[in-house]
Formats: sequence, C-alpha cells, structure tokens
Amino acid sequence: MDAFEAIKVTFFQECDELLAELESKLMLLEQGQTDLETINAVFRAVHSVKGGAGAFGLEALVRFAHVFETLMDELRAGRKPCDPVTIKTLLRASDVLADHVQAAQGLVPEVDEARSAGLVAEMELLTHGGEAPAPVVEEDEDDFGFTPMAFDMALDEPLAPLPEPASGWRIELRPHGRMYASANETGLLLRELGRLGPTTVVLDDSQLPALDALAVEEGWLAWTVELHAAVDEATVREVFDFVEADCDLTLTPLGAPAEADFVFEEEGPAVLPAGDDLDIAALLARVQGEAVAEPLAPLSAPEAAPAAAAAVPTPASTPAPAVASAPTAPAPVTIRVDLDRVDRLINAVGELVIQQAMLSQRVLESGLARSSGIALGLEDLELLTREIQDSVMAIRAQPVKSVFQRMPRLVREVADMTHKQVRLVTAGEDTEVDKTVVERLAEPITHMLRNAIDHGLETPAERLAAGKSPEGTVRLAALHRSGRIVIEISDDGRGINRERVKKIAVDKDLIAADAVLSDEQVDNLIFLPGFSTADAVSDISGRGVGMDVVKRSIHALGGRISISSAPGKGSTFTLSLPLTLAVLDGMVTTAAEQTLIAPLPAIVESLTPQAADLHHVGGLDPVIRFRDTYVPVVDVALVMGFRDAPMDPTQGIAVIVETESGQRAALLLDAIQGQRQVVIKSLETNYQQVEGVAAATILGDGRVALILDVDTLVAIRRSGVRSDFKLAS
Amino acid sequence: MSDAAPVVLTLSPVLDLTAAEPLKAELLAHRGRVLVVDASGVERLGGLCLQVLLSALSLWRQDEINLRLAYPSDSFSEQWAAFGAPAFDSEGALA
Amino acid sequence: MSKTVLTVDDSRTMRDMLLLALEEAGYTVIQAVDGVDGLETLAAKGADVVITDINMPRMDGFGFIEGMRADPNHRTTPVLVLTTESDAEKKSRARAAGATGWIVKPFDPVKLVDAVRRVAA
Repeated sequence: MDAFEAIKVTFFQECDELLAELESKLMLLEQGQTDLETINAVFRAVHSVKGGAGAFGLEALVRFAHVFETLMDELRAGRKPCDPVTIKTLLRASDVLADHVQAAQGLVPEVDEARSAGLVAEMELLTHGGEAPAPVVEEDEDDFGFTPMAFDMALDEPLAPLPEPASGWRIELRPHGRMYASANETGLLLRELGRLGPTTVVLDDSQLPALDALAVEEGWLAWTVELHAAVDEATVREVFDFVEADCDLTLTPLGAPAEADFVFEEEGPAVLPAGDDLDIAALLARVQGEAVAEPLAPLSAPEAAPAAAAAVPTPASTPAPAVASAPTAPAPVTIRVDLDRVDRLINAVGELVIQQAMLSQRVLESGLARSSGIALGLEDLELLTREIQDSVMAIRAQPVKSVFQRMPRLVREVADMTHKQVRLVTAGEDTEVDKTVVERLAEPITHMLRNAIDHGLETPAERLAAGKSPEGTVRLAALHRSGRIVIEISDDGRGINRERVKKIAVDKDLIAADAVLSDEQVDNLIFLPGFSTADAVSDISGRGVGMDVVKRSIHALGGRISISSAPGKGSTFTLSLPLTLAVLDGMVTTAAEQTLIAPLPAIVESLTPQAADLHHVGGLDPVIRFRDTYVPVVDVALVMGFRDAPMDPTQGIAVIVETESGQRAALLLDAIQGQRQVVIKSLETNYQQVEGVAAATILGDGRVALILDVDTLVAIRRSGVRSDFKLAS
Repeated sequence: MSDAAPVVLTLSPVLDLTAAEPLKAELLAHRGRVLVVDASGVERLGGLCLQVLLSALSLWRQDEINLRLAYPSDSFSEQWAAFGAPAFDSEGALA
Repeated sequence: MSKTVLTVDDSRTMRDMLLLALEEAGYTVIQAVDGVDGLETLAAKGADVVITDINMPRMDGFGFIEGMRADPNHRTTPVLVLTTESDAEKKSRARAAGATGWIVKPFDPVKLVDAVRRVAA
C-alpha cells in the first residue's frame, strides 16, 4: 500500500470518529444545548470530512458535505436559528453523510440518491430561507480551490487581438508595514522573482525619513524590478499572492506602450562588482533623482486594474477575536498501535500468567517451605505478573461510546417505521470495557433497542390515553458494577404482558401449564429458545431472531441478561458482561472429578454443610441455612450431568453465590482447591454453548477446567426449566 | 568632528522585524560617534532593518561623521545587493 | 540542515497528507492537533515555518496565530493558513491575526511546498 492509500485508510478511520462526534453533538443540540461551541463542533466535524474528501476527489461526498457545512456556517454565524426543525434536518443529514462516507469507501454500492437530493434541497432551503440561493452559492464555490486570477478580456472586447506575450515585466513594489508584520519579507519576494528569470533591482529610498524620525515598522522603501522572462502576469502576480493587500504593486509588461512609464537612465544593477567604490551619498542622490514617489497611475494599463483594487488598504486591521474556545482539559497524548501488536502482547502475558501459575505449583509440590526465598520471590513475581496483566488489559479498554453513538440513528429510523415518538437518553458512554466486548455489544444493544421501541413503547395515541407524554423515552446506560460492565436498556412503555407471555410459553411447551412462576420468572421466559414466533416478531425488532439469540450472544461473551418489568410503567433489560474476555479471578473446585472454576465476584462465602442446617422442602432439592435465611442448594455435578445421583451435601462443600439479580444459592461441590486468576481460552471454538458453563481455561498443571456460569446454574435449579446440558464433545 | 574613538556595533545574526527597533535605538545611542557596524555575523537581513541601516547611513552622512559597514558576511553582502542597496567595497568602507 | 515545519491541524488525515508532501520535499515536520497544542509545541521546539488549520477545537487558527505573534520569538515566524475557505473574510481575518499566507484545500502538494518555500527565509 503506498503512502497515499495509507492516508486514505486513515481518512476513513477518521471519518468514523468524526461521524460519531457529529452524532453526539447533534444529540446535544437536540437536547437544547445550542451554544456556539456545540454548533462549532458540528461544523468542524462536517468540515473535516469535506476537507479530506476533497483531497481524495470523493466528489459526491464533498458536494453533500459542502451543503451541510454551508448550513452549519449560517447557524454558527447566528444568521439562521438553530431551531428544532433545523436540528431534525441536521440529524437526518448526518445519517446521509454517513451513507456517503460508506459509499465512498465502497462499503455500500451507492447512496439513496433521492434521499440525498431531498436533504440537499431541505438544507439549501434552510440556508437561504427560501430565497434564491444563487449569489451565496457562487461565492462558496471558492471552497473548491478556484480563485479567479486572470481576467479574460476577450469577453468584453471580442475583437481585441490577443495580448502579445510580454518579454518581461516591470514590477513596482512598495511594501507597507503590515506586510512585514505578517512575516512576509521583501527580500523573499525579490528572491522569488529571481527564480522566474534574470532581474535587475532598483531601490528607492526617497521616502525614507531620518533615523531619529523613523517609524521602523512602517514601509518606507520602494523597489522597481525588471524581470526578463516571458511569463504571464498570473505567474508574476502569484509571487505577491500573500501580500497584495499589504503593498502597492504595479505590473507593467516590458515593451508595452510607455504612457505611464518611467525611464531609468541607468539600470542600477542589483549586483555590483566588488571594488566598485561608490559614494553612498552620491548614490542616494542619484536614486532619489530617478525614482518617483508615487506609484504608477493605475488606469494606464488594463492589467493594472486588479492591482489597484488590491492596493486598497485592508480594512481588517483590527485584530479579530478568536472564536470562543472553552478552556478544556488538554488532549491526552496518544499513540496509535496496531491491534495485532497489542493482542500479541496480551497473548504473551496470558501465557506468562499460566507459566507463573505452573511454576508456583511445581515449587509447592517440591515441598519447599512457603517462607523460602524461592517461594517469596514467586509471590512477588505473581504480583508483578498481575500488574503487567492489568496494564496490558487496560490498553485494550475502550469506552462504549463508539457503540452508543450509533444508536440515535437506529432509534430515529425505528421510530419513523413504527410511527412512535421516541427520545433516546444515554448515560455512561465513557465506561470502558475490552475492545472485543465493545465490538460485540453493538448487535445485542441494537436488538434490544428495537425491541424496546417496537414492543415496549406504545403509540403516541395509546400513551396519551394512558396519561403519559406522547413521546416515549428509551434509556441506554453503561456502568461498572463489581468488576463487570452493566448495560441497561429501559423504556417507559407498557411493560411485559405477563399473561400473554405465560400463555405463549405454555402453548409452546416451554413450561408446564400449571407451573407456578414469579413475575420475574415469567418476564425471563422471553429469553427461552423457541419463545419468539413469527407472529410475535415484527419486521423491526425481530428480523426473525428472538431474544434467545440475544441471550446466547451475551452468554458467549461470558455475560448475563435479565429483564424486569412493571406493567404500564415499562421494562428494563440488564446486561452484565466481564470487563475483559481474557482473564478471570476464580475459585478452583472439583465436582465429580471435573475441575470447575467459580467466578470469584459471584462468591459470597463457602462453608461445610452441617446436617442440621439442611432441609428438604416438598421433596425437591434441599435448602441450606445461611445467615438466618435458607438458600437453595444446587448440586452442580448433578445439574450438569456429570453424575446421575445427588451427592450427600455433608460430604461436600457449599459455595454460596449471588446472581446478577441478587438471588443467592449454594453450589454443592466436592472440594475447593484454591483461588487463582485464570486465563480464558477461546471459549467459542473449543466448546459449544453449554448451559451452566461460561467458558474454559487451562490450569497451571495443564488441566482444562470449565468456568461456571452461576446465574444459569441457579436459574436451571429454580425454574425447573431444562434444556440440553450435555457437554459437547 | 568627533573626538572619541570609533565605536564598534556588532549586528545580530537575524535582522528581521523584531530587530529593527533595537537596532535603531543602538545606532541612535551612538549618534555623533564614528561608527563601525560589524556585519560579520549576519545571516538574515530583512527590509525593515535595511531601512534602519540606510537611514543611519544618511544621518551620519548628514552629520558628516564616518559610518562604515564592515566585515560583511557572505549572507549580508548577498542580501544587501539583492535589495538593490548601494554597494560598499570589500573593506566595508562606505565613504 | 533541513528546515522544520510545524503543522497544526485537528484532522489526522490532513496532518498525514502534509507530512507526506513536506517530508518528500526535504522538510522536517513536527505536528500539533489544535491551537493550544500548537503554541506549546512551538514554544518547546520552535519551527521555521508553521502551517495551521483554521477550524479546530480548543483554540482555532486565528487564536493560534494571535498567540504566536504575541510571543516575541515568533513574531516573524511565517505562518500559512490551511483552509478550504478561501473567501475574503477568512483571509482578511487570518491576515489581521498575522498570517503570512494561505493554502487552499484541497491542496496540490507541489503548490503546498511552493508556498512553504516562498515564505521560508
């Protein structure tokens, strides 16, 4: 890939960031934060997309961005109000801008031209307020780099002969003080003229005051340069491009009629031979006598007209105030690192953790005293390894913002399709989680948002009838809770129709008709495989996929999902995911000779069950007394199919766990081996989805161990709903 | 005319906008003295300092006191000449 | 010794393009992401020529140029304004702030290098 292509890749990456920024700022506008800085931020994002697109000749993108930018320019200048109607248009325009970026990237075949053209028309109408847009647009075309420079005289005088190419130019230059103040320099202008061809330079210091009266930052000198090169006027004028407003400049073709010309008796060559001993006073006198104080009469030659216009003193000599820039925290210093490199590092550190664990185990087995130097050194090594691992994981951590920022568009589109009024509120966009987790969050969140709008929210009419605001609110929030990231999606809609859900579950044989279920258990039935049906799933939220698929994809990430609902008030989906897919603090246990890892965050306590604390209620699994209450006992080996008969609880050990929703249960296991940090190995490739198992790991001694999914285990035990629990081969 | 010994004034390497006002002040501080302006260290000569130097030459001339631009560096000579400014000989004598 | 150009632009794409064109022409390039960063970088490292964008967060190009000019060390450092807006108002504001010249985006690398050469002492 050549450098240019590499920059193009950068450009599209940057576009993604800019579009995300655009989206989030437009959201602020929508929420009424229409301050100048927010409007400016929107302008900048569109402007940057346009700037890069121009560099790569992405014309359709440039054209659309240009119209967008022009409207933003009106808004930030305060010439047009940033009202709700305009903001709605801007939001839709940002969607189409994103489409244009995708099309330019070749990700989608082409943009919906009608939609794009419609928005262009809409934005132009807003920009020009219904008036004929012609003059403004014409001016704006300058943006594309066309600067009128040469005059085409033939248009006015069709019969005039083409001007003979001049053999050279006489350039008369009188710099103003402002020219020097902008760090332009006469010497450099003369040098540039010298690059065009041979020159003779004559200095005029007739206006120069005496030293004690000299205002040193004003321009008092003038130069006349004869350039002997057959170049066109534009080429010469280009040298003075930056300074035309800050100097008097006259260009006359050499050999042109000398009506306003001055004849210099002596050329005054720029470079005099060494030893040419001239008297300075005499020289000054001579130059004074030759030079003319006033610049050439501007009307003498057609070419002089633009120069005369340019020579008008610039009106903008007062310093313009900088655009208000809120003092914000300095941008953090960052480097961009190829993800492969980070992943190699993470893998290596993962191996390091395993090696360190194995080494510790060997040392332990060798019978060395715990206080021995080697054992103590190993402890330090473990701490250090842990620290390295944390630091490495932090490299991969990213805010969920990138996913959250895609959602407003989705919400708008689903709201349009379902004819509902929806306000999306987001919180916790800066919550960080492993990059892989961030990437895989998009799909389940998308699905649940669709679901919330399509099924959760009522139509405006229904809401009004229920005494609610016609506009429904969907809230998307992220937060950290006990070492995991929690995503909450809540709506203020109608809540789950439990009667209907229960009926569907019974009809589909998912539960017994006489099953006694708590409200919460009923709500969670919607996650059962096979619950969703074609008629329960609309185009929008379903796309033929049920909530069970969402649940499965969350499980694949080692996450859990639950729902709580209040009839008439709304529902909340709660997703909980590990912060990283790579490591886990676990308790190593055994059950029926299988090594199982219980995630440490879920564990409350472990105890040895006493017969007196155990009770059998109605012939079901026993419950155990724990801190003045009774919690159900889950015989893990039995539930997972490792053993056919239940074990005697007093022969094992009970690990009290708490689920995401706060329910407690006692996992009955054979023994506890200890605590350790485990590296999660590719859970999806090695194992098919097994209920009760979240992932797998390799222990220090090389054994494979399964990591328990506490919530699922407890849910299986409580609901009595069972599916296929066999370990995949 | 002047009874004091010649004063040597060494020019800064960069004679740009920022150097113009100090240069004027320095020169004026030596008004009435025979002045040797040492241009040996000059790397860059801008239009504004050129004005100051030319104006000084004219003032000293008017006072009928000698002011010499001496030991010009190559850069100074080249840029001085490129401005079309009056020449001085290899010794730097100007009068 | 090659001349150093400081480029101040919030767009990574633009910074990369400037880098490519200027390094090819033999300049040493240092970069900053906005006006504030630009002033800090200039104070810390200095530059022979500065190229700055106008629309930037935190401190825009006008503020940056004014800040530069307020520093005696950089009153005469040439600064070129890089912007798609070539209209008279932007130019005159940039000039009032102390800009030496401008480059119209999308820029032709040859013209860019040409403009830098024109203002570089």
